[in-house]
Amino acid sequence: MKYVVNVAEKIYEVEIEDLHARPVIARVDGQEFKVSPEDDMKPADQKETRELKSIELSTPTLGPIANTGELTAPLPGTIVEIFAKTGEHIEAGQVILVIEAMKMKNSIRATRAGKIAEVLVNAGQIVAHKQPLVRFG
Amino acid sequence: MNFTELLPELLKGILHFTWGNALMITAALILIYLAIYKEIEPVLLLPIGFGCLLANIPLANMTAAQGVMSVLYNAGISTELFPLLIFVGVGAMIDFTPLLAQPKMALLGAAGQFGIFGTLILAIAIGFPLNQAASIGVIGAIDGPTSIFVATKLAPELLAPIAVAAYSYMSLIPIIQPPLMKLLTTKKERLIQMEYTPKPISQKTLAFFPIVLTLVVGLLVPEATPLIAMLMLGNLLKVSGVVDRLSKSAQNEIINIATLFLGLAIGATMSAESFLNLATIKILGLGLLAFALDTVAGLLFGKLMAVLSGYKINPLIGAAGISAFPMAGRLAARVANDEDQNNFILMHAMGANTAGQLGSVIAGGILLAIVSKLI
Repeated sequence: MKYVVNVAEKIYEVEIEDLHARPVIARVDGQEFKVSPEDDMKPADQKETRELKSIELSTPTLGPIANTGELTAPLPGTIVEIFAKTGEHIEAGQVILVIEAMKMKNSIRATRAGKIAEVLVNAGQIVAHKQPLVRFG
Repeated sequence: MNFTELLPELLKGILHFTWGNALMITAALILIYLAIYKEIEPVLLLPIGFGCLLANIPLANMTAAQGVMSVLYNAGISTELFPLLIFVGVGAMIDFTPLLAQPKMALLGAAGQFGIFGTLILAIAIGFPLNQAASIGVIGAIDGPTSIFVATKLAPELLAPIAVAAYSYMSLIPIIQPPLMKLLTTKKERLIQMEYTPKPISQKTLAFFPIVLTLVVGLLVPEATPLIAMLMLGNLLKVSGVVDRLSKSAQNEIINIATLFLGLAIGATMSAESFLNLATIKILGLGLLAFALDTVAGLLFGKLMAVLSGYKINPLIGAAGISAFPMAGRLAARVANDEDQNNFILMHAMGANTAGQLGSVIAGGILLAIVSKLI
């Protein structure tokens, strides 16, 4: 699908294959970018185009991101069980929830210790790859 | 009638009982034990174990010409009906999305078949004729239905040990594969996390895939048509989305009934007279070797892909390039996850695993084509 984006008075034509895939693969003027929108949730207006490119051209970060405030889904699937509760303090390595994919249950563990500010998914929900699961406070 | 004449009649079962029967019944009890207490592939091992038990009760005649086990065998194994019905069910359970989304995984499904041909050569070297050697090699892909299909056509006299080997090694995947995986990959390789950027697969592509594959494989390897066609029929029932009832029947009733009767009939061929011989031991050994070689070939190819991709591909998924679906795919994902709790390569491993399922059917067909011309 093609999108027309206007950044600082300049028009870009952005082609995106699948908005739900993580990272999102976007083509701008023949160049390919991999973007994980949930990973760099900075206010959009502070981003310069050049800065944007440098961020996205760097090696894509893999797996759940430790230094952001969110734990993301390392694989697509269905949430079958949630152990973590809002407000609970958890240790790194503790099982937060279980994602069932290809009929196999996968324990998703915390990549860092901290207090859970919000659980962003419900049991039974289908999640995409890299979709945020919980937010740390 | 006096009592001394009556006694042997009352005890005839015990009097005909041999040490071989005792040994085979012990084997049957081990299979049943593994199924019930270890929950290792109970759906297969329980019927096979019980069939084996029945086959070693002297004079019970269940395996005689009109016995129930012979009726099942003649109806479903000799005719290849049961393995083909099982494939309808397997097809309805397979999700080809991870493979279609990452087409390069198909290479791993092809690499995983190397052991079939390696074992064939070795089996010929130790004295098996070509038709038997080819049937033994197919064990390597750990594809029960295809092994039975090929063996029935090429070497029906070896069907029992071949089927038993294929199905018992399938249940032993979690024991046989991990040491090879650890031996052949470095910790660094096992830690590779893989990016998952699937191409979006449309419903239309999913529905066309089984039809196109049936036609392409059918025209290229006609001998593989029955297997691939039944597999793809099951898949079409599932992905078409319009025959939910048929898809559910294939995934449940059809495959369950076929598996039960296939297991019983195969188990019932394990009588002491026909099973306890040197050929069986050789076949079990060669089958294990074929499986190990397939795993090694897949892993080595996985390592090659890891290097070529600049270490973006975890070579563990190579071990999933065999047929046993979904066990092999799950195992590769589990080994990577054991190494790093935050590493999930399940979708990639499943892509390789479904490719392996297709690969073993095609390899089986190619073997049938070549060997039936040569003998």
